[in-house]
Amino acid sequence: MRPIIRLVAAVGLVGLLFSCAPKNAKIVGVAKFVSHPALDAIEKGIVDELKASKPDYKIDLQNANADMNTAAQIAQRFKDEKVAVAVGIATPTAQALANQIKDRPVIYSAVTDPVAAGLVASMDKGGPNITGTSDMTPVKEQLDLLRALKKDIKRIGNIYASGEANSVTIAGIVKKYCQDNGLEYVESTITNSSEAKQALLSIAGRIDGLYLGNDNTVFSALSGIAEVALEKKIPVVTADPSSAETIPVLAAMGYDYYKMGVATGKIVVRVLNGEKTENIPAYLPTDSADMSFVLNLDTAKKIGIKVDQSIIDQAKVVISDGQLTRK
Amino acid sequence: MIEGILVEGLIYSILALGVFVSFRVLDFPDLTVEGSFPAGAAAGAMVASALNLSPNHFAKALAVPAGMLAGFLAGGAAGFATAAVYHRLKVPALLAGIVTMTGFYSINLRILGGKPNLPLITNNPMLNLARTFSGGLLPPDLSLLVACVLVALLIFGVLDLFFHTEIGIAMGALGDNENAVIQAGIQPGNLRTWGIMLANALPGLSGAMAAAYQGFADVNLGQGVVAAGLATVMLGELVVRSQFISVQLLRVIVGSIIFRALMYAARSWGYLAGITPNDLRLLTALLIIASVAVSRYGRKRR
Repeated sequence: MRPIIRLVAAVGLVGLLFSCAPKNAKIVGVAKFVSHPALDAIEKGIVDELKASKPDYKIDLQNANADMNTAAQIAQRFKDEKVAVAVGIATPTAQALANQIKDRPVIYSAVTDPVAAGLVASMDKGGPNITGTSDMTPVKEQLDLLRALKKDIKRIGNIYASGEANSVTIAGIVKKYCQDNGLEYVESTITNSSEAKQALLSIAGRIDGLYLGNDNTVFSALSGIAEVALEKKIPVVTADPSSAETIPVLAAMGYDYYKMGVATGKIVVRVLNGEKTENIPAYLPTDSADMSFVLNLDTAKKIGIKVDQSIIDQAKVVISDGQLTRK
Repeated sequence: MIEGILVEGLIYSILALGVFVSFRVLDFPDLTVEGSFPAGAAAGAMVASALNLSPNHFAKALAVPAGMLAGFLAGGAAGFATAAVYHRLKVPALLAGIVTMTGFYSINLRILGGKPNLPLITNNPMLNLARTFSGGLLPPDLSLLVACVLVALLIFGVLDLFFHTEIGIAMGALGDNENAVIQAGIQPGNLRTWGIMLANALPGLSGAMAAAYQGFADVNLGQGVVAAGLATVMLGELVVRSQFISVQLLRVIVGSIIFRALMYAARSWGYLAGITPNDLRLLTALLIIASVAVSRYGRKRR
């Protein structure tokens, strides 16, 4: 009998430990999937906006630490805390929150394709208890830029992680763009950052230019990719302007993640003020004022590309002779 | 919150039972679980969600059992691959597991139709059934808990029965003394293959249930599950010492609940001790070390 008694005692002890939970309705729960420059910027934007507009609310910041199995645990925690609004940053956390929490509002952020992620039925309106912001990157503008920079481009390469849902969506858009514009599309997928350099080497001979969407795995290895690209004289356009300021890719264009966080925070405030999530459509950044565009003229010179003055005029950050100028 | 911990503990206890079978019963350190758990999640989610959309009522009613079976079988297939590599090529167990786990990343992507993530939020028959099977008698969260208890008890019951059959006892002996099994006239290779399949089919089933609980199946679900399973098994052993297989199986379930509770506590109140969610993996590793250390120390004293 002794083992059975100890079993029961152990379970009982655990139960006792957890029966005294904090109860507070004035909490906003924010869960991000992993600590990462873009996601951290979004989190900061949300926190700053909430602190400014709703100072009486406590903010519970959680991080799933890239472990998918803990995402549901965070959702459970938010449920127990009776948070007023639960915010999920990045697809897996948003999905876990949406799946667990049905009786209070869930706001997602940094989800590239909320419809494909199963969060909402359409981009035009929110779900019964869910809405948020998409971080869909301006793929068409980025590819237009790549073509404008290298006018005789025939074959576009794309490297992304096969395990990242966002990247697979973007790859589909790139492929379609290439088909529509009579370009050849060459892709190479990787499973972790250490394969990125090799992935580029394997397709370098078959591409005239390289596009990189906002793929976390690829961006961890961006310096290696940029190095190979310089050597092979391949122009690279990426979706991440912040890394382009330090790593010599040719150009980068994308939306500011901090501002996306602020936009997410504004939606949270609207919901806290009683607005229904159904009436709030998914927010997509479209304002070109929020778009950052980094152009590296040193890289252009090294790979033998002459950049038109009209493109230089559009850039918000220009790197020339090692000097970084913001406009 | 207590329901949440119990539900999670029960779902992942099925994974841990698989880890228990490989590491403890078969003495076969099997890392395949990092591939079989997401394989079960992928297969279970694909089958259950596809059948749930079927216009045929019969197919629709089968969505949940078929999804669970698909998860179980997908995990078992991963186990078979490991066993085949181990026996045919005579490579060490760890290597065989790593090979299968690596290969199953691609296979899991194939199962999910080339996409890394399958959302189940609006089409989740398993979770819906678990929440509503009591017909409104219980609130949804409690109903989910009861469903998980029932599944865990069923698995426990079946495993307990199995390990009391002739073949089950032989499997138990295999890890301790292979020669005894041979002398009893049983082919150890075949027996081990079945054992490794079982040790991965259980995580597969657990994966199918975890995907439903999380609301998505994802190729990356397997990261860190072997360590979590091991910590669970060892925590159970720390709490209850026993030579009886029934108690050994039951304590895996208890260990799983304790492990999830500890993780939850670290996440909730860890900040008081300066623990951030970034430290949770280290905590898992330390838990394993501490469990081993305590049981070693205890054994010496005896």
